[in-house]
Amino acid sequence: MNIKRSPWKGSLLLLLVSNLLLCQSVTPLPICPGGAVRCQVTLRDLFDRAVVLSHYIHNLSSEMFSEFDKRYTQGRGFISKAINSCHTSSLATPEDKEQAQQISQKDFVSLIVSILRSWNEPLYHLVTEVRSMQEAPEAILSKAIEIEEQTKRLLEGMELILSQVHPETKENEIYSVWSGLPSLQMADEESRLFAYYNLLHCLRRDSHKIDNYLKLLKCRIIHDNNC
Amino acid sequence: MKENVASATVFTLLLFLNTCLLNGQSPPGKPEIFKCRSPNKETFTCWWRPGADGGLPTNYSLTYHREGETLIHECPDYITGGPNSCHFGKQYTSMWRTYVMTVNATNEMGSTFSNELYVDVTYIVQPDPPLNVVVEVKQPEDKKPYLWIKWSPPTLIDLKTGWFTLLYEIQLKPENAEEWETHFAGQQTEFKILSLHPGQKYLVQVRCKPDHGYWSSWSPEYSIQIPTEFTMKDTTVWISVAVLSAVICLIIVWAVALKGYSMVTCIFPPVPGPKIKGFDAHLLEKGKSEELLSALGCQDFPPTSDYEDLLVEYLEVDDSENQHLMSVHSKEHPSQGMKPTHLDPDTDSGRGSCDSPSLLSEKCEEPRASPSTFCAPEVIEKPENPETTHTWDSQCRSMEGKTPYFHAGGSKCSTWPLPQPSQHNPRSSYHNIADVCELAVGPAGAPATLLDKAGKDALKSSQISKAREEGKAAQQREVESFHSKTDKDTHWMLPQEKTSFGSTKPLDYVEIHKINKDGALSLLPKRGNNSSQPEKPRDPENSKEYAKVSRVMDNNILVLVPDPHTKNVACFEESAKEAPPPLEQNQAEKGLADFTETPSNCRLQLGGLDYLDPACFTHSFH
Repeated sequence: MNIKRSPWKGSLLLLLVSNLLLCQSVTPLPICPGGAVRCQVTLRDLFDRAVVLSHYIHNLSSEMFSEFDKRYTQGRGFISKAINSCHTSSLATPEDKEQAQQISQKDFVSLIVSILRSWNEPLYHLVTEVRSMQEAPEAILSKAIEIEEQTKRLLEGMELILSQVHPETKENEIYSVWSGLPSLQMADEESRLFAYYNLLHCLRRDSHKIDNYLKLLKCRIIHDNNC
Repeated sequence: MKENVASATVFTLLLFLNTCLLNGQSPPGKPEIFKCRSPNKETFTCWWRPGADGGLPTNYSLTYHREGETLIHECPDYITGGPNSCHFGKQYTSMWRTYVMTVNATNEMGSTFSNELYVDVTYIVQPDPPLNVVVEVKQPEDKKPYLWIKWSPPTLIDLKTGWFTLLYEIQLKPENAEEWETHFAGQQTEFKILSLHPGQKYLVQVRCKPDHGYWSSWSPEYSIQIPTEFTMKDTTVWISVAVLSAVICLIIVWAVALKGYSMVTCIFPPVPGPKIKGFDAHLLEKGKSEELLSALGCQDFPPTSDYEDLLVEYLEVDDSENQHLMSVHSKEHPSQGMKPTHLDPDTDSGRGSCDSPSLLSEKCEEPRASPSTFCAPEVIEKPENPETTHTWDSQCRSMEGKTPYFHAGGSKCSTWPLPQPSQHNPRSSYHNIADVCELAVGPAGAPATLLDKAGKDALKSSQISKAREEGKAAQQREVESFHSKTDKDTHWMLPQEKTSFGSTKPLDYVEIHKINKDGALSLLPKRGNNSSQPEKPRDPENSKEYAKVSRVMDNNILVLVPDPHTKNVACFEESAKEAPPPLEQNQAEKGLADFTETPSNCRLQLGGLDYLDPACFTHSFH
């Protein structure tokens, strides 16, 4: 009797383990695997949603910068110092219409995704640091929180678009690393303020870039340059 | 020595400065770049404000360098943007990059740099105003009109690739209003305005802005006139018209309600009832309903065949001044008069028109004088009198042109003849009965019977009087067909007749059988009271109460022969009450027979009341 039991026990155990392993390997499928034909959320919908988000994010960024500058750094001439100081300047982004039209769709989408990814960390720290500030400006903090939230959603959407536009892209996450956290935590008020100023200045610019790029792409991909 | 040199240098400098100051020349003031704008994110222009020029011609130059570059460039285009401007073309314009610009003012005395301006094209975008603004009023059917505004984006802006995104805004106001009404139009290039004030002139403006940038200036004002809405006006007009007419109707109804009866009588005068000739008021007074009813003859409304019986005529010889020949058949008159069922129970009809008792009594005077001779009938002379001929209308046609004649022969007096009265619509004949009842006006000018339809001016009283004058004697008769009152009153003047005649003697009647050409009356003897029994079993001819005219004297006097079958020839006393019923019955029964046998049967009652038996006319209508 004992001998018979042990095989049963073993097989049962084996079965259990294999099931567990199989369960772990299950990963959630993307919304639209493969082409847009089989997808319920069409590329058009994705782009529409992306444009809305990017437009919204830039509006928030622009307001946040204006409010910060007006309140904290007006007249300090920080603008002259915030030259060539954005961490995403290393990314080769087009600077006019002609350059933008020379970039392929998938490169363009990849580029946008890279920019968005580059801003994950800065936004996170921005929120953290503003929240911990003494007399934290509520307007700026709420906008920062909102921008971080929406940028994450935009990134997800762009990754979906990328998977549809360029399905065979390997997960090559190119992004710029931000190293401005110590500046945000500097004791010197002016240095710290300039760090925030610079961060918000770059955020405003990059959000405008993303918005403009997405509108270009939308007209190019969805409407075939006939918006 | 050194001190001298120093002081000399200072002195020289001061002198130089003095000289310069005296001359008023100085280096130029500091210019300032005050504005940079990009209309399409592909080019941009900067403008500076020059400072004081220092009294000397001054040159300006703009230099710049871009973020991340060290190379300094000069403005590529000083002209396109106008004076004191620098225009950057496509190849010089970059987005998302800071430009550092400086304007340098230079004159002989020196040069002055402006402050640096940090410009990012991204944030200086301001388009031109929209172009080709079209404003129309569109009026779809069964809908309110709306304002349709359409425009086009400004030139040099690339919307197709999505490089540029435009948002529009509209503002409009009525011409005299103070504040503008603003509408955001999004990215569409057309717009509808639905809430309009009709009849007003509107001003419309459009402007645009990039997705992130400055609003353009407003386009020029475009004015448009909104037409007045006729439909609304029309509705108001129709509503007011409806209300007004409703009010008027209410007023009319109210007025009618107040004076309803009088207005109705004014508009629709009551149809005069038929005159019941022979309707005896005494009957009514005595209250003998039986006789009255029979006299009225309501029981049998005879068809065509009957009226001839009713139109039994007989002549009554009258000695009186009036010298009327009355053929009165009291029974008949009421029956005749009442034949038309539409008799008006009012005073118009049946009033003493043929008051048999008085008339009979009066008229029997003459016959008594010469009882054996005749009963003087009163002959209505119609055709001879040209006036009379015209008086009759179609219904009395039969009488026209027919000369009454007296038939001296025969055993009976026939009714006053209508030569072959044609058969025609009995109803109309009945109408004629009512209509043609005629009152012979007495010498006193008693009002004559009124004829409604027939012969309004049929016979004038003068004729009657004339006839009467001529026929003074009982023998003389003139038959007057119709006499109508001027006032068109269909009253039977029974009382007057009574008074005029005044005689209470019961009158006897003769029936005029026919009248020949010479105006002779052929009379049939009347049965009279002696034989109150129904006359049915008798010979039809004999049943009638007629007197036979033997001869005519002087053209107007009838000489009657006594009826061998009757006791009294001259005058048959007959009470109006008794006579009518049996005779009437007889008449009714023998209507047809009489009609056929005596085609010329025409009953004519003479005397105070004259009327023509419609049977006469019916015969004549053939």
